[in-house]
Amino acid sequence: MAGFLARRFLSVVFVLWAMTVMVFAIVHILPGSVAHMILGEYATNAAIAEMEERLGLNLPLYEQYWRWFSGLMRGDFGQSLTMERPVGPVILEALGRSAILASISIVLVAIIGIALGIHSATHVNSWSDRGLTLMQYFFIAVPEFFWCILVIIFFAVWLGWLPATGYTPLADGGFLGWAKHLILPVSTLVLGLIAHVSRLTRSSMLEAIESKYVLAARAKGLPERIVLRRHALPNALLPTITILAVDVGILIGGIVVVESVFAFPGLGRMLIYAIDHQDIPLMMGGMIVITAIYALANLAADILYAVLNPRIRVTGTAG
Amino acid sequence: MVTDPLLSIQGLSLQYATQRGAVHALQDVSLAIPRGGAMGLVGESGSGKSSVVLALLGLLGEGASLTCDALRFDGEDLREAAARLRGQRIGVVFQDPAAALNPSLTIGFQVAEPLIQHQGLSREAALARAVTLLGEMGIPRAAEIARAYPHQLSGGMKQRAVIATALACEPELLLLDEPTTALDVTVEAQILDLLEKLRRERGVSMLLVSHNLGIVDRLCDELTVLYAGRVVEQGRCAPVLAVPSHPYTRGLLAALPRLDRGRMARLVPIPGGLPDLTQPMPGCNFQPRCPFALDACGAPQLLQGEARLSRCHRAAEIEGEAWPIPEAPEAVARPIPTPLLVAEGLARSFGGGGLFRRRAGTRAVDGVSLTIGRGEVLGLVGESGCGKSTLGRLVLRLISADAGHIRFDGQAILPEPSIAFRRRAQIVFQNPDSSLNPRQTVDEALRRPLIRFGIASGEEATREVERLLELVRLRPDYRSRYPHQMSGGEKQRIGIARALASRPDFLVCDEAVSALDVSVQAAVLNLLTDLRDTLGVAYLFISHDIGVVAHIADRIAVMYRGAVVEEGLAAQVLAPPYHPYTEALLSAVPVVGAQGRAKSRIRLKGDVSSAQGSAGCRFAHRCPRHMGAICDTVTPPMLAFGASHQIACHLPAEQLAAMPLALG
Repeated sequence: MAGFLARRFLSVVFVLWAMTVMVFAIVHILPGSVAHMILGEYATNAAIAEMEERLGLNLPLYEQYWRWFSGLMRGDFGQSLTMERPVGPVILEALGRSAILASISIVLVAIIGIALGIHSATHVNSWSDRGLTLMQYFFIAVPEFFWCILVIIFFAVWLGWLPATGYTPLADGGFLGWAKHLILPVSTLVLGLIAHVSRLTRSSMLEAIESKYVLAARAKGLPERIVLRRHALPNALLPTITILAVDVGILIGGIVVVESVFAFPGLGRMLIYAIDHQDIPLMMGGMIVITAIYALANLAADILYAVLNPRIRVTGTAG
Repeated sequence: MVTDPLLSIQGLSLQYATQRGAVHALQDVSLAIPRGGAMGLVGESGSGKSSVVLALLGLLGEGASLTCDALRFDGEDLREAAARLRGQRIGVVFQDPAAALNPSLTIGFQVAEPLIQHQGLSREAALARAVTLLGEMGIPRAAEIARAYPHQLSGGMKQRAVIATALACEPELLLLDEPTTALDVTVEAQILDLLEKLRRERGVSMLLVSHNLGIVDRLCDELTVLYAGRVVEQGRCAPVLAVPSHPYTRGLLAALPRLDRGRMARLVPIPGGLPDLTQPMPGCNFQPRCPFALDACGAPQLLQGEARLSRCHRAAEIEGEAWPIPEAPEAVARPIPTPLLVAEGLARSFGGGGLFRRRAGTRAVDGVSLTIGRGEVLGLVGESGCGKSTLGRLVLRLISADAGHIRFDGQAILPEPSIAFRRRAQIVFQNPDSSLNPRQTVDEALRRPLIRFGIASGEEATREVERLLELVRLRPDYRSRYPHQMSGGEKQRIGIARALASRPDFLVCDEAVSALDVSVQAAVLNLLTDLRDTLGVAYLFISHDIGVVAHIADRIAVMYRGAVVEEGLAAQVLAPPYHPYTEALLSAVPVVGAQGRAKSRIRLKGDVSSAQGSAGCRFAHRCPRHMGAICDTVTPPMLAFGASHQIACHLPAEQLAAMPLALG
């Protein structure tokens, strides 16, 4: 177990380092000059050269990478080119707001997705199972931005119940104001993911219910409720846990879209802003933070999986 | 006065709703088990054996509809009481212990669960009782095992835990559904001993469902033979097996390769397959496959007789008449067995590796040399995990060897063998379901090697495919079938036809008949024998079933933990002198008609994987004839008995020669 965790942890560290190289490479392969961008079309060559000198853009690439990487190691993400502020605090603020969105979403996805999956598996081919299946395929197939636009038109424009865009911190708007801004983005984010998780839970739960050990548990004379909760569910949830970590990645992708549409000032919107304005330090910082979240979510899933699965937690033979 | 039986089934019929219509899985099945009695329920796959068990437990699931005159357990109607009685007064042991245990709960808790549920014991008290139960099942260090998870236990230990669970609440009736089918013969013998002891000491009644007549003969007083959902014969075990009365029972026994009868020229295959259960026949449903059938068999048959019931109106008439044995094709003169395949010092390890330093892996095959002559069948036996399959793949160079040389027909075969070697040396795998491509028709599967090896193409290939099908006794119209449209036996015959397509001189048969029912197994074994006799094909025949190997092999090699411990002509290996491992293997085989041999049995402790000794004899840690330190420290010498019989053992030759016969 300790060996397993150590290996996983090392691989996460390696993945993160490799990502710094890749992010740096991608950003520097992109066409266009940053100095041009900042100074505008009519800048003189001398001014551009001076700007590049100031930003260190004339240094060899490996030296630029080292400057940036060693900064990262110290917790310094560099200076934003367009906001006259250090990148770190900008990311942190945006991250905080996105984290609210993401954590509420992932908790809802886990609870509702698993619950619906269990319901379908224990009521196979009932009307509720068939109805859920139909809806799940529908929600998996239709992309988020479509729901974004639909709910804005319906709830914000026609009914006027909820604000279409923006964000109010808890301190300013109170719980109600805060919550009102979250309802629409969260619900569009979770629709597809709930469908995804409940499909998977349904099939793994069905597999568990049809397994020999569940038959053996029934043959022991245990009540059906205990058979399902103690014998079927723990084994059925193992694949779901892995998929929840993958869904964190999908969720981050979704957040970029949803934050843009709802003008929600989070990490996704910040990243779009950075790309639009060629704010390279901000762009790289944002990408690294997102990668780190994804890698850590997977690490967390692996740890959870190992804790729940005795075949990984307990090794060696007995007797 | 006749006391009521403990379990009484009368007129049990069962239908499953399917898309093709209702499948009549059981039709008017009746049986009774007295207190302390043991009933064997035998039949081939699809006969409905397991449905009887599920019906008794009330666990048939959706889509099954059950009718019966009576289904009584100790005076209670099981149709209502099953949910209350199961786990408490009726215990169950299912086939595969690895699947029947929950992977994420400890062994102790799983054994304790019925006690908590039915006897209201506290968790601690139930766990303590579970440890005692595990100990009673012969599990060493039971307290430690109780805290372990299923994946940490060997197959035999798992099945003991399952039996402990079934016995937790001291049930009066134990339902055993193929309790040893997934286990090695040595472990099977341990479990059978345990069950026998439970019967003797606790008076537990048993219903034993099995396809293995030898096991039923060992454990049961009475026997019910099921064919396609109907009872065809019922009576005391010994007389039914000694002189079966219904043609189906007679066929089953004649199809069985019998270790105690030595090598026979031909087995009796039962032609055809199970009837369509969606349209039950009014008359005898075995009639289409029966060599004794008359027109009158189309009339409804009654289960008749006094002490012994048989559902055949001709039972008395045909008594003594033998099953017609299909004639063997004329054997060509057997070539003088000049060496065809010579392997020397083959070795292969698995596992190991490691990121920073090389760790020692398991040596699956550790320096094995063997020779197979033209047209010769070398049987390879041993428990699972002995390295049999690995050796089979090594001699074909299907997996890379760590060491060793192979010569085939005088030529050295390098790690990347030529296409000519691939053409001449082929393999038949155990499981035709996973070795046939489900998206390829039979024609495509058989045509591919023909084209690949440049044997035939176009029209000629079509004729060749038909010839191959005829060779394995399948009709030409099978060409257009997909694997899912065939039965297990038919698929395995396609696997053999595919291996034969390139007209090889040498076939590795890796458990090629293990997944088949005896009647089909007999047909495939006859086929393999015929091919050897007519085409001079040589085989490396790998099987855990010593009866099958004894039937087909000219020579037998016994493998234990990566090495050959005994090798010789079949008759030599099956008779003393034995290697102590061979002796134990043979002694463990449940043979039909061998009741009362139990006391002289040799039992091995543990299994192949238990304890790893690196020096000395590989078998030392389990050897019942262990001599002392020399066995643990010094590699045993190869003792020769005559020209062709070798045994690797420290025991003096005289002592080996003085061994008693291990078979009854």
